[in-house]
Amino acid sequence: MSITSFSFLVLITVGTLVYYIIPKKIQWIELLALSLVFYSFSVAPYTFIYIALATAIAYISTMLIKKGKKAGLIFCTAMISLLLIWFVIKGYGLWYPVCIRVIPLISTSLMNKIDSFQIVAAMGMGYYTLQILGYIIECYWGNIQPQQNPFKLLLFVAYFPQLTTGPISRYADLKTMYDGRAFNYDNICMGAQRILWGFFKKLVIAERVGIIVSSINADPGTYHAFYSWIALLLYPLQMYTDFSGCMDIVIGVSELFGIRLAENFNNPFFARSSQEFWQRWHITLGTWAKDYVLYPLLKSKPMISFGKFTRNKLGRKKGAFVKNLIGMFVLWMVMGIWHGGYKYIVGVSLWYWIILMLGNLTASTFEKITNIFEVKTTSFGWHLFQSIRTYIIYAVGAAFFVCGTSGGIYLIGDCIKVFYEEKYANPWIFFDGSILELGVGYRDINIILIGVLILFIVGILREKYGYARLWIKNQSFVFRWAIWLFLLMMVVIYGNYGPDFNAADFIYMGF
Amino acid sequence: MTREEVYERLNKVFREILDDDTIELYDETVADDIDGWDSFEHINLVVGVEEEFGFKIPMGKVVTMKNVGEMVDIILELGK
Repeated sequence: MSITSFSFLVLITVGTLVYYIIPKKIQWIELLALSLVFYSFSVAPYTFIYIALATAIAYISTMLIKKGKKAGLIFCTAMISLLLIWFVIKGYGLWYPVCIRVIPLISTSLMNKIDSFQIVAAMGMGYYTLQILGYIIECYWGNIQPQQNPFKLLLFVAYFPQLTTGPISRYADLKTMYDGRAFNYDNICMGAQRILWGFFKKLVIAERVGIIVSSINADPGTYHAFYSWIALLLYPLQMYTDFSGCMDIVIGVSELFGIRLAENFNNPFFARSSQEFWQRWHITLGTWAKDYVLYPLLKSKPMISFGKFTRNKLGRKKGAFVKNLIGMFVLWMVMGIWHGGYKYIVGVSLWYWIILMLGNLTASTFEKITNIFEVKTTSFGWHLFQSIRTYIIYAVGAAFFVCGTSGGIYLIGDCIKVFYEEKYANPWIFFDGSILELGVGYRDINIILIGVLILFIVGILREKYGYARLWIKNQSFVFRWAIWLFLLMMVVIYGNYGPDFNAADFIYMGF
Repeated sequence: MTREEVYERLNKVFREILDDDTIELYDETVADDIDGWDSFEHINLVVGVEEEFGFKIPMGKVVTMKNVGEMVDIILELGK
């Protein structure tokens, strides 16, 4: 069951109605039931066993940790078991390419056995695994009390809106989900608005951009040069509208039940640097890796000793840089490995590790240059330049993310050809109707442009007021409704949906 | 140890590690208020605080402290 499907809308409408009718004490049971229904209609129901198993490991281990005996051993066993399950099932893209090269050299029949072994992953495995690991770590650190009711813990893990693409929630933020809630018009209203905004991003913009990008990706032999530029520059837009659109729907659905999920995006394309970009993009993954991997690593005895050693040998700044180099490498590797494939390690881990380290090395030089030329770093023009630079850096990473390592190199090489191979440098494709061969009409291109303009306006409102919705809420009745009806009409008229149309799966659903 | 004494020693640690003599900490001070206080320096600061006060700050506290005021609360609690 896709979260953009009609059946999902029916499920959440009925689910919300029932939620506010039944006694508050059993509202959480209904949420668990809804999660099971959603799961059963979305993927092979038997794969729920993985979620149940992960919950059982978390429940038993945290109960034993609380008792205090051999807490360290129990903690390590639970963490390793969960990581191992994730690695065998979701890390398939990491170990299979190695197996296919190594195992046939030892035994062909063993390779055949591995090939015949069909693994179906549970829905949202990457997300819920990190969520559970975080829960066990917080219990071990003594920051939270373990949940006494295993079914309540199961709801925290399998809560249906976040099973699609996260966010990676923290137990401390969600522990109020078991409390009863009275009907609140604001929750329904804000939830529905957020869902509508998500539909707009996904069905109106992402689906159209996806058609253009897929056409170019499918035929790299035909589409060169400026077409490659189109693909390269559209990847970030497609990723953003797809992933953040999904998050809007997910967060909106949860708001209907009065449960606030963590935000995963905060205007990433307004970021001035790649470092800031990652504080605004897939926020819950970044903070998870920072709190549970980077901080414990940097605070470990060997790293502290290493930090002292480098400081004594190289001085404060250079010493810190070398230490950060290692910390950053581990942090970005975790982020890349979590995606479960080598192309993601290249597109996320290595690319950003190199970019951020280069940024760190050249920061003082850039500061000197801006001082010499007396650049007004607070001006709009400078902010725009920095944001475009950040966008292009992300686009290159996204090229590896989407096309793989060799595909990404090919695409970027093709983009560069525009500058030195005359036969490729044909900018007229933008004006002579050539781009209409990519599966979209002028109307679609106009809709994308209007969509981007709307995204930009909403982005400005968000920067200024926290949420664009809060600004809209304070407008007059007529203006307010005009905005929401306009958005609804855009989705109804221009959204790609209906019985004959299958909206593409959300890109981030695979993790 | 009084709160004022903690602040005096904390200012010294922050100024030394972040190489900035103008740093003045308050209860409400957060990482965004001080240049150079990023995720990496956060741990360097924590280690510096541990060395200055002579006790370990548990990992659970490191990730949950929201501002300098909370850091001072933790130091006062651990220093009892």
